[in-house]
Amino acid sequence: MARVTKEERRDGIISVALKLFSEKGFYITTIPDIAQKVGMSVGNFYNYFTSKDILAKELVLYISDYIGSQIREINERDISTEEKVYEIVSMYFTMAQEKPEMIEYFLRVYLSNREVFGEGCEGMICVSAFVTEMMIFFDDGVASGDLHDQDFFSAFGLFMGYLGGMVFLFGEKILPEPLESYKESISLNIYNALKKR
Amino acid sequence: MLSKNDKKLKLLWLQGLTCNGNTHSFLNLASLSILLSKFEILHFPAMQAMHTFEVISELKLSCDVLIFEGTYDPLMKRNDVFVKDILQHYAKEAKYIIAAGSCASFGGMFKASAPERNSGILFNEKNKSGPLIEYKEKIINLSGCPIHPEWMGFTLSMIVNNQKILLDELHRPLELYSSLAHHGCSRNEYFEWKVDAKGFGLKEGCLFYEQGCRAPMTHSSCNKILWNEVSSKTRIGTPCFGCTEPDFPRSALFVTKTNMSIPQDVPLGIPKRSYLTMAGIAKTFHIKRLEGKLIDYKTTS
Amino acid sequence: MITKQLLEQIEGEASVYFDIKDEKVAFATVSFPHFRGMESILEGKNALDSLVITPRVCGICGHAHLMASVRALEDAYKNGGYEVKLTQKSQKIREFTLLMEMIQNHFKWLYMVIMPELSKLTNINLEKRPLKGAFAASVAAKAIALFGGQWPHSSYMVPGGVTADPTHIELLQAQNYLQELILFFEKESLGFSLEEFLSFESCKEFSGFNSDIVSLEAALMDAQMHQKGFAHDRFFVMGAHGFSKVAKVKSTRTFSVESRYITTQAAYAPQAQSFAKNALYKDLYYETGPLARLMAKGIPFVKNMHRRYKDSAYSRVMARVYEIASMLSYSQDLLKDIEITQDSVIPLVDMKKISAEGVGVVEAPRGPLVHRVKIEEGIIKKYEIITPTQFNIGSSSLEKPTPVQMAMQGLSKEDALFIFRTFDVCSVCTTH
Repeated sequence: MARVTKEERRDGIISVALKLFSEKGFYITTIPDIAQKVGMSVGNFYNYFTSKDILAKELVLYISDYIGSQIREINERDISTEEKVYEIVSMYFTMAQEKPEMIEYFLRVYLSNREVFGEGCEGMICVSAFVTEMMIFFDDGVASGDLHDQDFFSAFGLFMGYLGGMVFLFGEKILPEPLESYKESISLNIYNALKKR
Repeated sequence: MLSKNDKKLKLLWLQGLTCNGNTHSFLNLASLSILLSKFEILHFPAMQAMHTFEVISELKLSCDVLIFEGTYDPLMKRNDVFVKDILQHYAKEAKYIIAAGSCASFGGMFKASAPERNSGILFNEKNKSGPLIEYKEKIINLSGCPIHPEWMGFTLSMIVNNQKILLDELHRPLELYSSLAHHGCSRNEYFEWKVDAKGFGLKEGCLFYEQGCRAPMTHSSCNKILWNEVSSKTRIGTPCFGCTEPDFPRSALFVTKTNMSIPQDVPLGIPKRSYLTMAGIAKTFHIKRLEGKLIDYKTTS
Repeated sequence: MITKQLLEQIEGEASVYFDIKDEKVAFATVSFPHFRGMESILEGKNALDSLVITPRVCGICGHAHLMASVRALEDAYKNGGYEVKLTQKSQKIREFTLLMEMIQNHFKWLYMVIMPELSKLTNINLEKRPLKGAFAASVAAKAIALFGGQWPHSSYMVPGGVTADPTHIELLQAQNYLQELILFFEKESLGFSLEEFLSFESCKEFSGFNSDIVSLEAALMDAQMHQKGFAHDRFFVMGAHGFSKVAKVKSTRTFSVESRYITTQAAYAPQAQSFAKNALYKDLYYETGPLARLMAKGIPFVKNMHRRYKDSAYSRVMARVYEIASMLSYSQDLLKDIEITQDSVIPLVDMKKISAEGVGVVEAPRGPLVHRVKIEEGIIKKYEIITPTQFNIGSSSLEKPTPVQMAMQGLSKEDALFIFRTFDVCSVCTTH
């Protein structure tokens, strides 16, 4: 049997932590809860993450890196801007369904508990991997003449706010149809709003 | 090293289609008379030298150092002689050929006078297809609009001392053009922390994000070897226009081209992702010291 | 018989075609063979690009073009319905750098062109080191660089002001360079103090002194230049500055002028193609430059000289010498009162909002420089440049000679060539 690497261990902790925060809530879940679920001592846990605050921030970085690398892969594909919009929406919705704890953590913990992330996650530092990829997407879109040139935040807010809102509604079980059935209309709305006039 | 007994190198300064800016910039050189005394000056546009231009255009003389200022226009004549013939004649026996300024180096400002036929002497913008391509081994490009007098002073001094000048792929001396105009700008801290200048006329702020400063993308030593031994454009709040590069002059100057607030061009050699990551992080912080005025004349008593 | 004379050291190339009869110039025409099409290059460009492009019309007076451009753009703003305000500080910085460029020009012309050329016509010993002029010019260039970043070719004037935001450090350094320049002028050129020179009422007061300028004056006399080189005795100043008075001068009377009456026509150059134009004011030729500016202001030294020697070559040269002194002194006062706390730029709306025409006029070293621009939504539709050399060194027919043509008539070819240069020719400007 191959030994589990430190990295795999770390990823394991992250995975469990996200699920527990999702099930029980961020404040209620404790380090011993997580350590027990992972199957390690609390002392050993602290070798990986020195405090709950540190863990909280590392989780944001982890999610941001994950989403960032997904968007990067889409950015680097030889497809049209319109298709990229669809792919990004699709990726995001797929994540919401298959790894709901990730998006949920982002929306319900990171965005909603700024006091936890005040120091060390100021502004957009901790989500820079994902924001940078969105910048690349917009830059390429305008440079190729597909998207209308405008302020970054106007475009970013439209795209991400829309997706976040849909996922929130999904999480609250308000959407009558499955999330993926909204992919087409939402992609079209986003593309129509952002495309060159 | 040349001893008193060695013959001085013969220098000829020829002009194509030019505004004379490089000649006038060169006249500002601090040690000009000492430098010129090391050469036999066959002809120089601003001063009487050994020969009149009429004699030069007879194409009977030769020179060791040929300097060409201005855009090359194959249809241009001086004293009724085609400049291209004058150039070819003197280029043949010259040991060194120096393109003085961006016009002679790449086509520059006056390539636009007749874009289909004008070019630099070796390069036509970025393409190595100029009229003197067969002499490319002996051509040095001192691009700039105009050149800094020290760049010409350096090149001529190296020639007098018989020292090899290392060149980049655009034939520009590495010792002058390997750094960026950005190096040494007094606004560097604002660049580091992404504090944009709020318009023109202020000491504070970096001119890269909005005012179209090309310094991080331009090879030169303007903020290392100061202009007129005193200053530089960016230090006094004028953006660099990238005049040493083959694409000078660009369009829509004084404004940074952005796509959704993202600069289209990022510092040379820096991958866009890396740049945006760093910029994004730096922009997050609001450093009080960097956001206010350096000197508040009005309230400081 | 028409003989051609190629001219050098005139910022480019020109040829004078002499019609010599009995060893005297019966008539002469001038042709300028090179053309760069700057006005076409500007068409279709963003308006602010003109601030980078027009200085490249000329390597010795680029900042004058910059100022004419920025004034034209500001005029377009006004005609487009926007008020343009400039602080005293930015106006003074603009004027100071313009003056330094002028002084730089005059020094080079004196030492690198006039003294060597005059040496050919007289036995009087003149200064034979042209680089003296280049040195003085380099000091003036330093003073410019303190505010402009560099000389030549900077674009530190923008609509609404200047990009520089100096501290007292730059002001004091500028004062020091100016002082250095004045000391150089006094010691190397004049042989007496600036103040003394400015108090002179005529060149008679030179007697007893020994210097480059005193020798120059003696040489001009020796070569009879006070009796040669007369033009129409009509002068014209159009650029409005603290140091200039906008007017035309006929005999010694001044009259008001408006830039809209300036027109151009193709040069008459039957011997060879010329890309130059002749500039006229209300269809007449006028002389422009230092002599014109000093006559318009009624400076005693110049008025007295003019009373005796009219618009001879002597007056032309000595006026330019005097103008160096006058500008050095004026610049000292200019620097004293710059209020650092004022804004460098009073911002204006984006150029994209402007669809209007504008005119910018500046006194360049050789006379008025006019930029006329037509802008549509921030893009240049049309750009016209009229340069002072077009006023002075036009080429027309015998019936209606230009200033330089009149000045060369009836003289020997050698004298005529010198007279030509007393107008300080800039061929890159005249053809652009």
